[in-house]
Amino acid sequence: MLLELKGISKWIEQGGRRNFILKDINLTVEKGEFISIMGPSGSGKSTLLNVIGMLDDASEGSYQFLHENVHLLKEKSKTALYKRYIGFVFQAYHLIDELTVYENIETPLIYQDIKGSERKAMVADMLDRFNIVGKKDLFPTQLSGGQQQLVGIARALIAKPELLLADEPTGNLNSKQGEEIMELFAELNKNGVTVIQVTHSEKNATYGSRIINLLDGHIQH
Amino acid sequence: MFRTFFKTGLRSFQRNKIFSLINISGLAIGLSAALVIYLIVQHDFSYDKFHKDGDRIYRVTSTIKFPDLTINNSGLPLPTYKAVLNEATGYEAAAHFETLNEAKVTVVSNDGKSNVSFKKQKERIATDNNYFKIFKYKWLAGSEKSSLSNPNQLVLTADRAKVYFGNIPVSELPGRTIIYDDSVTATVSGIVTSLQGNTDFIFQEFLSLATIQQKNFSNQYGWDEWGNINSSSQLFVKLLPGHKPAELEKQLAVIRERYRTKDKENPNKKDDTKHNLQPLADIHFNADFDAFNNRLAHKPTLYGLLAVAAFLLLLGCINFINLTTAQASKRAKEIGIRKTMGSSRPALMRQFLGESFILTLIATLFCVALTPFILKIFADFIPEGIGFESLTQPHVIAFIILLMIAVTFIAGIYPAFFLTRFQPVAVLKNQVINSNTGSKAWLRKVLTTAQFTIAQFLVIATLIVGKQIHYSMNKDLGYNKDAIVLFNTRWDFFSDKEDNRRFVLLDKLRAIPEIQQVSLAGNAPASNSTSSSTFKVQTPEKLVETMVEVKTADSNFFNLYGIKVIAGRTLAPSDTIREYVINETYAKFLGFKNPADAVGQFIERNWKVPIVGVVADFHPRSTQSAIKPLAFSSSRSMSRVIHILLPENEAGGNKWKNTIAKIEKEYKAVYPEEDFNLSFFDETIAAFYKSEQNISRLLRWATGLCIFISCLGLLGLVIFTTNQRVKEIGVRKVLGATVVQIITLLSKDLLLLVVLAFVIASPVAAYVMNSWLQDYSYRTDMSWWVFAATIIGMLVIALLTLSLRTIKSASENPVNALRSE
Repeated sequence: MLLELKGISKWIEQGGRRNFILKDINLTVEKGEFISIMGPSGSGKSTLLNVIGMLDDASEGSYQFLHENVHLLKEKSKTALYKRYIGFVFQAYHLIDELTVYENIETPLIYQDIKGSERKAMVADMLDRFNIVGKKDLFPTQLSGGQQQLVGIARALIAKPELLLADEPTGNLNSKQGEEIMELFAELNKNGVTVIQVTHSEKNATYGSRIINLLDGHIQH
Repeated sequence: MFRTFFKTGLRSFQRNKIFSLINISGLAIGLSAALVIYLIVQHDFSYDKFHKDGDRIYRVTSTIKFPDLTINNSGLPLPTYKAVLNEATGYEAAAHFETLNEAKVTVVSNDGKSNVSFKKQKERIATDNNYFKIFKYKWLAGSEKSSLSNPNQLVLTADRAKVYFGNIPVSELPGRTIIYDDSVTATVSGIVTSLQGNTDFIFQEFLSLATIQQKNFSNQYGWDEWGNINSSSQLFVKLLPGHKPAELEKQLAVIRERYRTKDKENPNKKDDTKHNLQPLADIHFNADFDAFNNRLAHKPTLYGLLAVAAFLLLLGCINFINLTTAQASKRAKEIGIRKTMGSSRPALMRQFLGESFILTLIATLFCVALTPFILKIFADFIPEGIGFESLTQPHVIAFIILLMIAVTFIAGIYPAFFLTRFQPVAVLKNQVINSNTGSKAWLRKVLTTAQFTIAQFLVIATLIVGKQIHYSMNKDLGYNKDAIVLFNTRWDFFSDKEDNRRFVLLDKLRAIPEIQQVSLAGNAPASNSTSSSTFKVQTPEKLVETMVEVKTADSNFFNLYGIKVIAGRTLAPSDTIREYVINETYAKFLGFKNPADAVGQFIERNWKVPIVGVVADFHPRSTQSAIKPLAFSSSRSMSRVIHILLPENEAGGNKWKNTIAKIEKEYKAVYPEEDFNLSFFDETIAAFYKSEQNISRLLRWATGLCIFISCLGLLGLVIFTTNQRVKEIGVRKVLGATVVQIITLLSKDLLLLVVLAFVIASPVAAYVMNSWLQDYSYRTDMSWWVFAATIIGMLVIALLTLSLRTIKSASENPVNALRSE
């Protein structure tokens, strides 16, 4: 087991009433799974992904990641936990505009206090693997959307995470670019990385081993 | 990790070139202007700080009190010195010196054949070895003990010796001879180095005091005169440790009471003269006394300048902080990303502080590069000895480093603490940052308001200082100041023989047809050198005794200067003082409401002198000082200045030039050995307001810089806010807003800040400037238009600044703004 959510709910108080975004979510994810979360706009997909990624807190329920009880952890330990085990990929790429491709990919390593020489080797490896060595000194704005997302994924993978979280990774891409990204995810999954993605696309969801359908914060069975 | 900050810092600098340039140059200009002003001020405050035991050195001064008038004099009666040496205690050393007039110096060559002369040598005093006990000079030849003990001995500074003797080794100088004014021979007995450091003790030649105590000088120096006080007689004391100035003041009072000339009719009449001890540190600043005719510094002005420097610095810093933080909110997204990458808050804080340090560092480098230009701008006020190298003084460097750290922290702490607080998800979803709302916009508004408050305060101050100067220069001073030239004729101080050549010259000048009027008199109606005496007048009601400024005139003088005679007549020609013409103030002081009643009264000097006329009041000095009692007399022996009214000059004409050439020709014919030094009276008057003019210029520059910095800040702010509101502007335009409406929308808030700043600044400025004006006996008023001009001008400038950006944003195609996402 990689992680387990038990009775997770998240709500916003509005005029004394609880407005549920997530309601009583129970979910167990095993190592090596490739899960697609689907559902209409506002169904709580991204929030669920953020809770799993520890970027957002649930209002209720327990969350166990490996052997840690995430819902009991302090901010600092949570950060330490997710930076070690989780990689994030975003729909809008979220690269840092001031940094080059190389430096963007390097950033997570800096925060994990990895030595300079080691970082260099790891980044070079990653650039090579994604075939973007020639672009390493360019800035994000000089790249196409698909290329930017490749850099985003490279950055997510650089620290060798157990879990890759992707929030509509192909949302801003054309279909050909999207296909390439999904094939990359499938290949990563084959190599042992657990993947959870949020997607609108039925086609993308078929790359996964399991589909979770969300509606108004509930998991539909 | 530091390298990454450096990189991101520099890149965000490059990406926002204009914004960053505005940001950095604001701080750099503020910093360098502040530094230069600080150097100017510090220079004056460092005067005579280097003397050993300087806190124990005092000057003995005199204060003479009359019922309505207090006269201060930095000198004291000559015999006081001897009495202090013989009778007073509690001091380590007491030294007397006489400041000597300019003299012609003849350096006698070894063979006596090739003598060289130097005209008008200054910085001379007569003193004895006690002077060197108080003020420590380095002796290159001779000694403190012996060099000034006999008559006709002379000590020179090495600098002066070089002028007189060239590069002859110091050891060969003792024994050489110098002749002053062709009459006094002195032998060099010692060489010292000039005092090192900023000092008012700029003396270069020390004649032994015994020289002027000889018989032939007794007519110039009253060695036994207890009733005479002249500022050329200076007495300095160095107290013993632990002794208070008051102790010596008490002894001085006792001494004075014992020896002073007592009123024969009323011997118990209270003494009106008191001696006080003036601390050495006070001499450079206290305008009640003089500093051997050196430039005095005005402490309130210096403090004012320091305030201006602080303002400029503050403005630069505010700007910097404002813009840096505005810029930082743009980077919330980056913070969100970095947080999801696993960055901790401390790491992010370090990053922001590091980046703001780098910006500060660049600004400091800019500042160093800018300083030479600012030094050039302020060149007129910068005393000698201040230059770029002054910046390398340890305390200046320490100050800059401290400032850098402070600015780094203040500018970096807001983004470091505020921005890093957000949940990354919120930032990435664009839920947080709209910098125009919430607490930080509030902070930014306060800072901007503070900037414009300072700027407008300075604008008002500048306008009022300028107005006062204009008022002073254009006020009816009571005399004509245009087209009048004057020059001194030779006065041989040491010689007993009267030089009467001036009368010959006067006759010759009268023969020049272009000259309208000519007068041989004392100093001009307004001049820096004055002389006063105590006058007694027995009016029908009472005996009025007061200090009166005494001037010498002839019958042409009043006519030439257009001084109105309001009662009686002007002076009849006379060799000695036979009659007086007094001013209106004196007539009123004597108790005559109608000036004509004063005519016929007698002023009691050693003999009774009648008052024959009263003239309308005029300003004998700057309008800063009140008009005091004044009396003219006619005395041929005291009349040594020739005043000439030139013909009316037609535009571009050479009339004046030709006339002056003729005057010079006549002068040279009469005084072949002298230089011709002519001065225009209106220039002399303008010189009275030199310090005000300087302040005004400095203020104008400071204000200009202030406005410039504030506008940079405003520009940065509007660039920032319009960037933030691009989408809003787009939507509004799609909905049908016009360009003008958009510009109004963008400018309104910021202009309101300017108005608010004015509301704060104007009462403060009104109060401060009102108290500044109180220093002037004759002053301008604070007109409403000064304030109106300030706010209108400021709004126009602000609007123009804003328009640099708002017009562009408002006229942009809304599709561009709305296309993203």
